[in-house]
Amino acid sequence: MDPVAAAVLSSWSLDLKTVGLLLAVAALYLRGWLHLRAELPRKYTAGRLAAFAGGLVVILLALVSPVDAFGDMLLSAHTIQHLLLIMAAPPLVLLGQPVLPLLRGLPRWIFKDALGPFLRWRELKKVGGAIVHPIVSWFTFAIVIIVWHLPRFYELALHSQAWHQGEHACFFWSAMAFWWPVIGVWPTHPIRLRWAMIPYLLLADLVNTGLSAVLSFSDHVLYASYQLAPRLWGISALGDQSAAGAIMWVPGSIAFLLPAVMLGMRALDPGGIHPIRLNTRLRVPRLPAKGPWDLLRTPILGPILRHRHFRRSVQLAMLLLAAVVAVDGFFGPQIAPMNLAGVLPWTYWRGLAVIALVMAGNLFCLACPFTLPRDLARRFVSPRYRWPRRLRSKWIAAGLLAAYFWAYDAFSLWDSPRLTAWIILGYFLAAFVVDTVFKGASFCKYVCPIGQFHFVHSLVSPLQVKVREPAVCGSCSTHDCIRGNNRQRGCELHLFQPKKVGNFDCTFCLDCVQACPQQNVGILHVLPGGNIRDDGRASGTGRLNRRLDVAVLVLILVFGAFVNAAGMTEPVMMWIHHWHARLEFRSMGPIVTALYAGGLLILPAILAAACGWVSHCWGRAGNSWKDLTCSFTLALIPVGFGMWLAHFSNHLVAGWSSFVPAAERVLSRVSTGIYPRAWIPSWLPSLELVLLGLGLLLTLYSAWAVACRVADGDRAALAVMSPWAILAGALYSIGVWIVFQPMQMRGMTMMH
Amino acid sequence: MRPSNFLMLVVMIFAQATIFADGGTVQLRQEAGALVITVFTSPAPLSAGPVDISLLLQNRNGLEPVLDAEVSLLLRADALSGEVRAHATREQAQNKLLYAVPVMLAKSGKWQVAITILRKGQRTDATGTIYVAPAPEMAASHWSYIAFTPLMIVIFVVRERLMRRKPKG
Repeated sequence: MDPVAAAVLSSWSLDLKTVGLLLAVAALYLRGWLHLRAELPRKYTAGRLAAFAGGLVVILLALVSPVDAFGDMLLSAHTIQHLLLIMAAPPLVLLGQPVLPLLRGLPRWIFKDALGPFLRWRELKKVGGAIVHPIVSWFTFAIVIIVWHLPRFYELALHSQAWHQGEHACFFWSAMAFWWPVIGVWPTHPIRLRWAMIPYLLLADLVNTGLSAVLSFSDHVLYASYQLAPRLWGISALGDQSAAGAIMWVPGSIAFLLPAVMLGMRALDPGGIHPIRLNTRLRVPRLPAKGPWDLLRTPILGPILRHRHFRRSVQLAMLLLAAVVAVDGFFGPQIAPMNLAGVLPWTYWRGLAVIALVMAGNLFCLACPFTLPRDLARRFVSPRYRWPRRLRSKWIAAGLLAAYFWAYDAFSLWDSPRLTAWIILGYFLAAFVVDTVFKGASFCKYVCPIGQFHFVHSLVSPLQVKVREPAVCGSCSTHDCIRGNNRQRGCELHLFQPKKVGNFDCTFCLDCVQACPQQNVGILHVLPGGNIRDDGRASGTGRLNRRLDVAVLVLILVFGAFVNAAGMTEPVMMWIHHWHARLEFRSMGPIVTALYAGGLLILPAILAAACGWVSHCWGRAGNSWKDLTCSFTLALIPVGFGMWLAHFSNHLVAGWSSFVPAAERVLSRVSTGIYPRAWIPSWLPSLELVLLGLGLLLTLYSAWAVACRVADGDRAALAVMSPWAILAGALYSIGVWIVFQPMQMRGMTMMH
Repeated sequence: MRPSNFLMLVVMIFAQATIFADGGTVQLRQEAGALVITVFTSPAPLSAGPVDISLLLQNRNGLEPVLDAEVSLLLRADALSGEVRAHATREQAQNKLLYAVPVMLAKSGKWQVAITILRKGQRTDATGTIYVAPAPEMAASHWSYIAFTPLMIVIFVVRERLMRRKPKG
């Protein structure tokens, strides 16, 4: 093939965002279509699926094919792109009758709870009906087409990507409205006078013909950008413009005339044209109530997770990894980017752990290697004591967590492989000592700060270890899930499955899954954050929204997210250095200590107390200040978790390749001397903003649910939640500020 | 995460995405040696930060695209902010007739562009000036992501009001 032709044909841009969006929409439609196909096979035929898929393929062709690549240089290519978006994609998409399949493809809670009130909103239906009314849609379409082809606006789109995208959106959506009455899309009422669609199409063709004629017969180049563009294959700018006019004229007219002819033929049919009854009689099938999705019942992953030795295998792998990291930390070079102890825990492990939390649940505790040696020791020595009653709270863990956050910055743990190795070793020793003296999983429940991080944040995870059928537990008398049996131990954290609520204190060890003789425990899908809003008493944890120790733990985690991330930003680092120089301290320690004491303990305590007091004043009589503070503090978990996610995903993405030099050094025992470089993709700040925004939204929703529970009426609820909403909004704003700051890429070689 | 929820998350994230590709606005057009050189930049308008520079090389006779050259760029700002050297290739371009390279233009103002083209042992040089606008504020360039949160709050408030409405009749 001619190299130039080959180059033209290979000019595709597999833009991940465009392809990803179209694939996701296709998957939604397919999911809904499969449901509807089972219920209404004659209405949702393979032809509709093919038409919808064809529409998406046409959009893809318009946006990522050579047609897009050459749109800047050739008006004719740009015209083809617009024709695809106006004449080809919309009718194909609409022939797929997309409304119902897309709605059914949505998760049930979105379709029913989130969108339900809007779908029933009469005024919104009227607006929708007006948009696709033939008179409105025709004029909108004509105006959009004419205005965007005026040189001033066409040039605007050529000189600005944002306007160009706006132009494409106008073309596509006005065309969707235009083709809507022609095709007769559910749920709008069909046009009774179907023949009226014939002049509707012919008049639109007149507009198209007029524009085509202007392009074809103009004696000068209408769009200055194409005058400046390089000429390809000897085609002059005027010749290119004439070609664009011809393309718009002929295929464009066919797109209007073909359906007009088809409608005309139907009109001549003895049966005449009648309204499309197919869609008007279509009733939304009722959604069958299904049990929650169960990870343990998925085809491949389910049997693996249920396997008796699954957890031990994962723990063993993590134990070996921890041993390698610790050895490298003690004996390897004390340069964090070149040492496994400087890279694996701080860049990878934290990032992957929070991603696991948001995608599934507390997978870190599932794979935790620290408890493996004590399990081994318990084969020989049984612990004799119960954890002291007075210490059965989160106070010790909360204190250790605050100390850990402080130590991270005060001793630059991320920059010290040896200290990292000591922490790993200390962890193994602490877990071993505590759990060989005290029964159960005392270390996990009352001591482990990392465990608390995961317990708290797994409250917003989408999966939960939970009873499948509560009725089955009603007839159970052995309670193996907590007592265990001769084959399997029961829950070491004292969580009785039938009365367990949420993921708090759950290590995802799956002991209860293995122990239950009825196989009635699964890993079920739950609404994220549902237990933050609940007011129920749970087995092993009591009522979370009444526990001051849990509230303090949560405050440390929420504010810790922002203090920890802010500590990496240039302005905060400059501030620390400024005060260090001004006060002439020998080390940064006192400044960092002041920062953490203020940001992690004093400020959260004051703010939470103040918010709680305001809520108490405006709330219903009978709600104590402490209970209100504890309840609303739980609602802050998502916004804090959003910050942790944004922060750790930043490290993970930016330092994705940082493992390579350290691993090469360990394997070859020779240092290449090449440090890993941070690579910050342009989409990363956007992702971080989305994560922060989702966290804020879930926090506000949870706070609203709590407020509705503790206040009488909407106004009172709004007043009660308002201080917490302001606090959450302030935290979110700080998070946004952090995202936009130059940041120290720890363990890397550059700043961004 | 349940697959359908994951799907929704993907839709939400990608729906806010913007497209950024090579090609873009014509910045320079010169005839040098046996070649006609056209320089495009993206994004439009060109502003400080990560940008995509692409070149179309054509034979002066017949304007046939040239696809077998080696293209180097040297960008130097008027201000004292150093220089950027880059090697543009067709592999990095969406439009495979172009030679493209992503570069970071740290400062706004005038930038001198020096282009060196090696083809069949012959060297062709061209120079020109491009004007780079100040970088848009991070918050301004990410406005859709920031606006997403208040928009969702408004939608939620409307939903709550609809939920509390008494059905007519």
